[in-house]
Amino acid sequence: MRILAAMAAAAVLFCGGPAFAHDVPDDVVVQAFLHPSGGRLTLLVRVPLAAMRDVDVPANARGVVDLTRVDAALRHAATIWLIQGIEVRQDGRALPSGELESVRLSLPSDRAFGSFETARAALEGEPLDPTTQLQWEQGVLDARIEFPLDHPGGRLAWRADTRRLGQRVTTVLRLVTTEGAVRAFEWHGDPGLVQLDPRWHQAALSFLRAGIEHVFTGPDHLLFLLCIAIPLRRVRTLVLVVTSFTLAHAATLVASAYGVAPSGAWFPPLVETLIAASIVWMALENIFDSVAGRDIEADGGRAVARRWAATTAFGLVHGFGFSFALRDQLQFAGSHLLASLLAFNVGVEIAQLVVIVGAATAVTLAFRRLSSPRVAAIVVSALAAHTGWDWLLERGAVWWQYPWPLPSAEALTAMAIWVSIVFAAAAGAWGVRRVLARSAENADRAAVSGKPA
Amino acid sequence: MNRNAITAVAFLVMFAGLGAAYLYLSRDVAAQARNAAQAPAFEVDPLWPKPLPNHWVLGSTIGVSVDESDHIWIIHRSSATLGNNEKGLELKPPTGECCAGAPPVLEFDQAGNLLNHWGGPGQGYEWPSSNHGITVDYKGNVWIGGNGEGDAQLLKFTKSGKFLLQVGKANARAVPADKEGVSKFGGNSNDNTSFGRVAKIFVDPKENEAFISDGYLNKRVVVLNADTGAFKRYWGAYGNKPDDTNLGPYNPDAPPAPQFRNPVHCAELSVDRLLYVCDRVNDRIQVFTPAGKFIKEVFIAKKSLGEGSVWDIAFSKDPQQTYVFLADGRNMKIRILKRDTLEELTNFGDGGRQPGQFYAPHSIATDSKGNLYTTETYEGKRVQRFVYKGLRPVVAKDQGVVWPR
Repeated sequence: MRILAAMAAAAVLFCGGPAFAHDVPDDVVVQAFLHPSGGRLTLLVRVPLAAMRDVDVPANARGVVDLTRVDAALRHAATIWLIQGIEVRQDGRALPSGELESVRLSLPSDRAFGSFETARAALEGEPLDPTTQLQWEQGVLDARIEFPLDHPGGRLAWRADTRRLGQRVTTVLRLVTTEGAVRAFEWHGDPGLVQLDPRWHQAALSFLRAGIEHVFTGPDHLLFLLCIAIPLRRVRTLVLVVTSFTLAHAATLVASAYGVAPSGAWFPPLVETLIAASIVWMALENIFDSVAGRDIEADGGRAVARRWAATTAFGLVHGFGFSFALRDQLQFAGSHLLASLLAFNVGVEIAQLVVIVGAATAVTLAFRRLSSPRVAAIVVSALAAHTGWDWLLERGAVWWQYPWPLPSAEALTAMAIWVSIVFAAAAGAWGVRRVLARSAENADRAAVSGKPA
Repeated sequence: MNRNAITAVAFLVMFAGLGAAYLYLSRDVAAQARNAAQAPAFEVDPLWPKPLPNHWVLGSTIGVSVDESDHIWIIHRSSATLGNNEKGLELKPPTGECCAGAPPVLEFDQAGNLLNHWGGPGQGYEWPSSNHGITVDYKGNVWIGGNGEGDAQLLKFTKSGKFLLQVGKANARAVPADKEGVSKFGGNSNDNTSFGRVAKIFVDPKENEAFISDGYLNKRVVVLNADTGAFKRYWGAYGNKPDDTNLGPYNPDAPPAPQFRNPVHCAELSVDRLLYVCDRVNDRIQVFTPAGKFIKEVFIAKKSLGEGSVWDIAFSKDPQQTYVFLADGRNMKIRILKRDTLEELTNFGDGGRQPGQFYAPHSIATDSKGNLYTTETYEGKRVQRFVYKGLRPVVAKDQGVVWPR
């Protein structure tokens, strides 16, 4: 009789469980491990159940999930919400769709996904205690999905359409290589096909593209380049100035990527402020030169050297600015960090040369039609200075909110490294200047003596 | 010697000087790290959280908790603690374009965006007349207490605000009205069904037990079955049977009180299964086993009168929970204690209204990255984030305001 009563109660409680059709959650984190081993690729993935809607869940009237019968709902959720949206490629070829091997409902506080081993052990272990009272939308789904590999080894690429899981979806994916090394990735939304172990040229190409895009999408860098271009006409001078700028920002960009930049909250706003200051400086220099009637290129070596020395100094600052933009991208460099950074710099250099040659050509053509190119140079530079000044005040106000770091021994040590880098750059610049001056002297001497240099 | 040679030598000398300075300073840093005690370092994040939408403002903010996704949950008293000059938008007729009390329960992400909001009276449960404390447990349930006049209940919801459980009945602590007909409330720390103005809840994932700081009227810690709400055990100070006798005002020079004073303001279980209880007005932490056996006590800023110094605690996020962060709303600072000895290593903060300062820091919580979150009651009315900056040698007991460097 008791058994009958219990069965009746269970029927009342669990029949007609609700189909969960809640709102799209705002913030969803997908955790995943990928591990190739032999001829198989294992994917362990964890997704909050709140992100998996429209699933018939065995639950009582209070929404407590019947854990003894939840397996089918979990498999259904994993199939329609996960497997159908995942694409894995090996050496460029798409692998067949993954097979769902096991599923598990876990508590949100479960820490099994701290490592591949603990996650796999949890999925192979005992299910959650069936007496646990849990609402569907408060649990997490753990799933193990297996893909057959074409051959052992090979380079993997991953794409998962996770956007429908929530308003903002963050994917944290860790590739556990056959050697046991872990490579972590984190991205928001859908970044497209992600090369998990790119070849150097794949990484370089994507960073080259990023470098080009960054210049064209950064108004402050574009304005700085315009200011450089205004007084220069000769391609040789333009290339010299832009290259010095590129070498300088490459130095600080690479140094930042290797963790040498200050980590204080005051640093990014300081760099942004200095970038604005660099625009103001270059624009004012153009104005003063134009007012004084100085032609940098006609004046020769010293004036040009002054300009590229300034661009070198500002290049160091702009390099930090680039590094902030690149921070989230570095994970996609695989094991080719340096190559990727250099490619990024090459991309920046290419874009800069295009911009600066374009700007110089445009300035030359435009000024040629004007009766007074000097006045035009002053007007354009004044507009640039005005914009730069606005940015300077705006960014400076943000930076001013942060006090200077206290002069601790730690901070002074970091400062000693940075002063050394600046001195090294200055020493390099001085050396180059000496070489250029000497070659100019030799040329002059050769011209005077009438012999070829 | 020509000019070029002088320049080259100058560069070499500068490099040598910088190298020597670097070596000397690195040695100094290493020596500092070796000799001084280490403590977690923090900086206030003045830009967190982002402004609330809809002209919403916070009232006295009396609870904070961080869930498994590192989302930050706060509870506040909204319009009940806002003056008319603060809530013009919700007056009838409205007296201005701003502002209105935000819903009581607010969920923020790490970027400071408001993700979700709910709370207030509803069907099937008795919402507290004065919210107090919020805890998101290991199953993602949200627990809420209350210290209003008749509050003798606690509530459990899902994260989306769906009601799950009420334990205790509102007004259960009512005692006969006085001669003037004014209703009164009295503690009963030996009741097995209701509470006396619950301050905070902690849920133990291992045993699925809820530890209740009970409270502003009762003087005990209660342990419940976290699913059913059934009472399992309770105890008072030193593990004694609780006694509701009025102990009078706290006197720092008197022998330690044999019972908790109101309020019993927190009860937090550590990874090594020690329960730390905030006996706020008695300026002390008492440590128990989960079964209620007294282990030790320590006094914090013992001379503090009034509301007392031990308001709330949170443990550091390292696996051993090496440190305890203590919100001291009387002295307007966060104290950092070593958990094994409960010795205070350092503290930060000061009274004031700027970021990093406090007006009655009431509640405290940590996220998985080690960042701290505090909420302020009375007219403080805000939540602040303090970014974890790693372990650093302790160079000052009173750090003052930890402004970003």
